[in-house]
Amino acid sequence: MKEKKSVKSSDKHQSGHVSSFKFAKLFDPEAFWDKDQLGDVLHWIRQIVALVCGLLWGSIPLVGGIWLVSFLLISSGIIYGYYAIILKVDEEEFGGHGSLLQEGLFASITLFLLAWTLVYSLAHF
Amino acid sequence: MASLFSTFRYSDGLTVVGISFCTALICEAISWLLIYRTTSYKSLKSSIDKASKKLETMKTDSTVAAAPKKSKTKKIDRVETSLKESSRDLSLFKFKSGGVVALVLFVVFGFLNNLFEGKAVAKLPFVPARIVQKMSHRGLQGDDPTDCSMAFLYFLCSISIRTNLQKFLGFSPPRGAAGAGLFQIPDAAKTN
Repeated sequence: MKEKKSVKSSDKHQSGHVSSFKFAKLFDPEAFWDKDQLGDVLHWIRQIVALVCGLLWGSIPLVGGIWLVSFLLISSGIIYGYYAIILKVDEEEFGGHGSLLQEGLFASITLFLLAWTLVYSLAHF
Repeated sequence: MASLFSTFRYSDGLTVVGISFCTALICEAISWLLIYRTTSYKSLKSSIDKASKKLETMKTDSTVAAAPKKSKTKKIDRVETSLKESSRDLSLFKFKSGGVVALVLFVVFGFLNNLFEGKAVAKLPFVPARIVQKMSHRGLQGDDPTDCSMAFLYFLCSISIRTNLQKFLGFSPPRGAAGAGLFQIPDAAKTN
């Protein structure tokens, strides 16, 4: 049975991007997460996946709209796997699956398209 | 370096990205000067953060309770109204100061348009939808839908670079602000 964690409101957490953040916390299912912190982590994971996929898709190259759809499925799958399986967070405490899955989504799509297009154009023409 | 650049058929795409990146830095610097460092912005952002956290806690408590009291519901409504008002004030404040940023973006877009008018700056690895082609094939000759115009590449650069730059510098709008929905687009990018 999946253990659910609740949000612990931390007085020590400062709003904004600067906070005492330990890298080990990224893979610690026992760690407590603030909504802002988790949202930021999910955002950056999406951007990294977008960049890697864009560079890869453009280099091979993979051509066609289907590969945009595959990127969306892969990146959403990674995000879901991260917060549900690795971190084991209770998504209800963070606004539901929709709220977590949409963190950084649009920026990642544009970043992916940019990387994919640039690498494809420069490497194959 | 120049000869290496010229060996790429679509090296203009790199120029567009480079100019977009510099523009994003300039726009964030202007925004910091006019918006982010002001006490009005800091206090509005702080009140939105506090109100949204308070609202979350109150809503969680009311869903746990079997029969939420009327006074509790009224309190939630009051906090929601206060949050909406603060969000509106924040948007208005940013809008007034964002005119300068919008002007910079407009000038840069005009400059790039003059530079690359009628020229494909990249090749798309997919055929975009018809509605997207209005931007991706803007001003280009021929019927090849995979030719990419400066406008579309600039659009992709604007959204991706500015959103991530704002996030990195800590200038993103607070999550509790009304209107922060599925697509969190940087405010000035909407004026393109």
